[in-house]
Amino acid sequence: MKLYAYCLCAGLDSFDNSVSGVSGATVRVLKIEDVSVLVSDCEVVAATQENMLAHAAVVRSVCTRTTPVPFRFGTLATEPQFRSFITGNKVAIANKLAHLAGCVEMDLKTVWQSSNSAPALPDPPAGPGTAFLREKRRELLGDESPAAQRAELSGLLSEELGDLVKEEKISLGASEKSPATKVFHLVEASKIKAYREKVQKLREKRPELQLEVSGPWPPYSFANIELELSHGSE
Amino acid sequence: MSDVDLIIDEWESTDVSLLETLDHVLSRGLVIAGEITISVADIDLIFVGLNVLVSSVETAHEVLRRRETE
Repeated sequence: MKLYAYCLCAGLDSFDNSVSGVSGATVRVLKIEDVSVLVSDCEVVAATQENMLAHAAVVRSVCTRTTPVPFRFGTLATEPQFRSFITGNKVAIANKLAHLAGCVEMDLKTVWQSSNSAPALPDPPAGPGTAFLREKRRELLGDESPAAQRAELSGLLSEELGDLVKEEKISLGASEKSPATKVFHLVEASKIKAYREKVQKLREKRPELQLEVSGPWPPYSFANIELELSHGSE
Repeated sequence: MSDVDLIIDEWESTDVSLLETLDHVLSRGLVIAGEITISVADIDLIFVGLNVLVSSVETAHEVLRRRETE
């Protein structure tokens, strides 16, 4: 039997079943050492809008009780595989839970243009599937984008927001079709109001940035446990 | 109002868009290295690895076969 996983968290012993999981399944807490994993019994999950929203709703439902480390939609594994992953990455997971504790993700979108950006070389012709995957790859592998542009934007934002931001990730607008640059900020939940006020101040000061804010989100953009992940899963 | 009440109020009053929600659950979040199988309209897709490689099951099996023989 496989388990569908929604998120990891600390200090959660039970789940309020007012929220259903993917395919209407009951959500339960699987305790592995000190880590709670929210799971449902599930063999295959259909990639429907309903199931994606159910995933988001389950993760969101625990946000007032704990800070979840959300799994990406579609994570299915057996209980021994989850046990192996968690025990094999014990330190990295503990560090991640501690780092994210009490924090939320706030997202900013801007149509900001770097003052020193060089025009990107056009991609060779491709079908719509390849074009979509190229764009996703650029978004996920943000390190392909020039570090100088990120530093410039980060500098602009930190004038107002710097002291409220615990961690920042920037995904530069990759193409004409997708010009908006996305900025993900990890912010303490108690500072959401202050963050919004400072974004508003920044909007007034720098209207050309055309900032749009959304959140709070569970910290999806800060969930991955880089490097350490490969050890526990083999 | 306490800090905790304010935080609960923030979560409950937040109006997030469908598109952004789907973007978060599909493009972000913790990925366990290995193999994740999901299906779209009864066609299985496989995600392999830390980031994203989306391919048909047939193509993924072909890649794995090639790796095994190398």
